[in-house]
Amino acid sequence: MNINRIVETDSPQDFIEEIEKIQNALPKRIDANPKNVEKGLAKLVLTLIELIRKLMEKQAMRRIDAGSLTEEEIERVGETLMKLENKMQELKGVFGLKDEELNINLGPLGDLM
Amino acid sequence: MQARKKRSRVSQMALYAYAIIDSNSKIEGSISGLEGACVYNIPYRDIGVAVSELNEQIQNINQEHILKHEEVVEKLMQTFTVLPMRFSTQFSQEKDLLLMMQEYYGDFRENLDKLRNKVEFGIKIIWSAETIKNRIIEASKKCHANVAPATLDNSPENPMRNTDHRSRDHISNGARIFVKEKFEKYKIDKEFQDEADRCIALLDDFFSRFAAEKKLEKLKSDNLLLSAYYLVEKEKQGDFKEAFERAKNTPGDLKYLFSGPWPPYNFVVLTKKPDIFTPLEILKTMGNTSF
Repeated sequence: MNINRIVETDSPQDFIEEIEKIQNALPKRIDANPKNVEKGLAKLVLTLIELIRKLMEKQAMRRIDAGSLTEEEIERVGETLMKLENKMQELKGVFGLKDEELNINLGPLGDLM
Repeated sequence: MQARKKRSRVSQMALYAYAIIDSNSKIEGSISGLEGACVYNIPYRDIGVAVSELNEQIQNINQEHILKHEEVVEKLMQTFTVLPMRFSTQFSQEKDLLLMMQEYYGDFRENLDKLRNKVEFGIKIIWSAETIKNRIIEASKKCHANVAPATLDNSPENPMRNTDHRSRDHISNGARIFVKEKFEKYKIDKEFQDEADRCIALLDDFFSRFAAEKKLEKLKSDNLLLSAYYLVEKEKQGDFKEAFERAKNTPGDLKYLFSGPWPPYNFVVLTKKPDIFTPLEILKTMGNTSF
């Protein structure tokens, strides 16, 4: 069998950009040194909290969509989610972290942020 | 085996493995591997491992190594059914390699049988996530009542609005707006995902009729609608390519990338460590452990 490997596309630049985007979703190395250890740890912890918060939010929206929450429950959920989001903003400010710094690629679920 | 040196006298040397092949015979013709060393077969029962010798183990694999590895696997693929190994799979001794073969022989044999006369093709498709989302937002504006449940709408026109003053005391208007916005975003995201599913189902229909197996990855990024791998019998390659051309020529704003034929990297399945390692990762782990 004669093998002629083909990579064929009319839009090479678009594919390069998208593939680079996926590859850059996670840092290649963890930047850990004594000077920024606190920020590094805060980043790790806040990323995990953000992941859990987003999951809670999604679950709440699913339940609203399914009509399984009463009006009062929806309002309580709204208030809780809002307070959580505000608290996260506050913590990000304390540690000088931006939204994109807490991003992780969740594979088929997409990006966290 | 003419290329094999007396390894016992050169202890720091290593064996670099390229692929498991469905043959225990000598590799005909000369294939040049890493460091220009000749690639040869180390047989185990009725199969073998294509290897070449290194003066010392490679610690940091670079692009040149990867391209050479791929070139060797591609050449082997012309003659044999191959299970390509992960880049940088190295063994310090031949007996380590044979132990690995003994351990995984059943799996290797099964995979070689499954992948005989088959090759892998890759298809990637990009759509404009922004255009799709804008379209969804426009559509949702037109039928706004369907987007947010009535309970989230507290306007005076809404018959379901909350008129219980005792509970309203507890209600933060901010929270109500917050949850309404979140819900609208959730609905748009959900519709976006559903649209991706519909689109992928249509596209996959073109390709899967000529494929023995497939692996589909949806929305690895918002724009990368589909990353798909299809295992195709060698004699159906032409049909598969034609199916791709038909899909590509269908009117629309999608952008396509087609690649292959590749060794079947994505279709090797080990039963001993399901869902944890690819076989190549197992081999790498073993290769890095000097046992």
